[in-house]
Amino acid sequence: MKGIFYLAWRYLAYNRWKTSILVGSIMLIIYLPVGLNVVVEESGEHLMARAEATPLLVGAKGSPLELVLNSLYFSLETPELMDYAAATSIIESGLAEPIPLYVRFRSREQPIVGTSIEYFGFRDLQLASGRMPALLGECVLGAAAAETLGVTVGDSVVSSPETAFDLAGIYPLKMSVVGVLAPNFTPDDDAIFIDVKTAWVIEGLGHGHQDLARPEAAAAVLRRSKDGIVANASVVQFNQITESNIDTFHFHGDLGGYPLTAVVAVPNDQKSGVILMGRYVDGEARNQIIRPNDVVDDLLDTILTIQQFIVAAVIIVAIATIATAALVFLLSLRLRRSEIETIGKIGGGRWHVASMLLTEIIIVLILSSSLALGLTVLTWRYGSTIIERFVLS
Amino acid sequence: MRAGFGLLLMSMLLACTPESSRESAPTSETASSGILNIYTVNYPLAYMAQRIVGSTGDVSFPTPPDVDPATWSPGPETIIDYQQADLILLNGAGYAAWVANASLPRSRLVDTTAGIADRLIPIESSVTHSHGPTGDHSHSGTAFTTWLDLEIALEQARAVLDALVRARPEQEEEFRRAFATLEAELQDADAQLIAAARKLNNQPVLFSHPVYQYFARRYELNGYAVHWEPDELPEDALWVQLKAVLREHPAKIMIWESDPLPETRQRLLKLGIESVVLQPGGNKPPEGDLLDLFRAGISAIEGATKI
Repeated sequence: MKGIFYLAWRYLAYNRWKTSILVGSIMLIIYLPVGLNVVVEESGEHLMARAEATPLLVGAKGSPLELVLNSLYFSLETPELMDYAAATSIIESGLAEPIPLYVRFRSREQPIVGTSIEYFGFRDLQLASGRMPALLGECVLGAAAAETLGVTVGDSVVSSPETAFDLAGIYPLKMSVVGVLAPNFTPDDDAIFIDVKTAWVIEGLGHGHQDLARPEAAAAVLRRSKDGIVANASVVQFNQITESNIDTFHFHGDLGGYPLTAVVAVPNDQKSGVILMGRYVDGEARNQIIRPNDVVDDLLDTILTIQQFIVAAVIIVAIATIATAALVFLLSLRLRRSEIETIGKIGGGRWHVASMLLTEIIIVLILSSSLALGLTVLTWRYGSTIIERFVLS
Repeated sequence: MRAGFGLLLMSMLLACTPESSRESAPTSETASSGILNIYTVNYPLAYMAQRIVGSTGDVSFPTPPDVDPATWSPGPETIIDYQQADLILLNGAGYAAWVANASLPRSRLVDTTAGIADRLIPIESSVTHSHGPTGDHSHSGTAFTTWLDLEIALEQARAVLDALVRARPEQEEEFRRAFATLEAELQDADAQLIAAARKLNNQPVLFSHPVYQYFARRYELNGYAVHWEPDELPEDALWVQLKAVLREHPAKIMIWESDPLPETRQRLLKLGIESVVLQPGGNKPPEGDLLDLFRAGISAIEGATKI
């Protein structure tokens, strides 16, 4: 038996290119459906975990999927905007605790999440260093965001303009990093958290500027009258909120009309949640309320359907590959006729030859399966890094 | 299918995170038992809250003594303390402007004048300016010493009561009992102030500072506010201005936020003006409490009307 294994192994080793191609093909056939299954199952678990941890989401009427992806995973697509008054009305209802979200801006690739201090408790986010944001212009970074941007407590980050040619629009705001969060292994790790009012400053809805009554602002003043001072756009606006200028920052008009992308509503109990949902049933309501759980469930159904299509395609390819492999074996028997005759001449019977060929097939299958298993483990362990580095970058 | 492939990739990305999520089921419940941790932005609200909550609440008012809480700005560490509170009682009406630029838990903020917004007094003479896409806008303000109208003070106390009941419904009866006592005392002080003000018989009075708007309106005082500091001797220009005011507004009483300097008091007396102290009580007095301040003010006004 040892001799048969030796002969089979030597044959495969001698024809290393043929063996490698066979092993690679069979490995892919095994790995693709198994790996895909691992990916889909894991993704389902993670998507559902965050969705289940977010009881209700209120947003402007529009795509529920866009709302969930932006609010839970900070995706690039910004949903329809809603008014801050929606958060106030939830407080007034006494049915739930509202947590406002304004996820629209970025600092390089990192999402800037405008929210309130309640968010950190809601998501159970703990500080690794520093403190929570206390003042306008302060931010706290998720662990991965701090690492990617190479900043720590005491440094600063700058918001990015929405487009490269946004010269007259949103000014970059330099924000002080006052805290870095411990890793949470969720999208929160990649985010920069600021107070929602700081997000409004980024948008230009709140601003701080030089005192127009002072002489140094004279160049920006168009006219002075009994009723007030009118200045042109050259008035110096501050692009960083500091201890010395924070008192000049102000918001105009009713904050209730200021924009949000969503409000997470944490109901007092199940009954309160149902009553709250009932308030958005009215067809004329400008906002919608959704259970992220349901939306993610639908999304997973879609992903599962895609997975089924891919698996079906892989099965067809697998049949073709197995047929090709069988053909390769049959053809190789012809090429190996003299080798088989030589084995017969030196005393090897039909059984020996058959055993040797079978051993070759088993070795190829074992090698392919081992590699497929290794790849599946790697997918489970390092898939995120690989996809982030080679696909999303 | 707009997000199509991106969604799949994102789900794959999320799936491949090795450690499991540490998120737990959310809850909106604040601790429903134990001592209520209450922070306020001025002393009157701290006083009202403490009177209502008694020993079942810990009321904090972190403004240092001798500082006007209306214009004081706490540092980040103090704001972090505010963030930990179960309730943050705000005066509203633009009082404690730092609140607008601080990160505070919105669901735990209680604006005690939100229910009486129509009774707030706007301040005129603000700067209007125009720049950028938003057009004309102004930095208008609102008079904020609301509690000097004891009727409004009572409404603010009621707002405090409502917030406390929402936070601790099981203690409602206890809170309402304590509130009833406070209500009676505030109504009594209000009646005394009405009576004292009536004795002035619409004669002109001066206010040393423009913080008595609600007081003047509630008690129908014919008042004019100058801008004098009790611990500073007014400059000559201010005396000249005062004499000009007196020609139109022949006041015999000036109501001060705290005792003026003896020289100031004497010089006013020479002009026939009696100095009377009615401390607004924005910050905690060294002795006594808010109602003691009101009672002292009532006595002083009554004393002045007898002269």
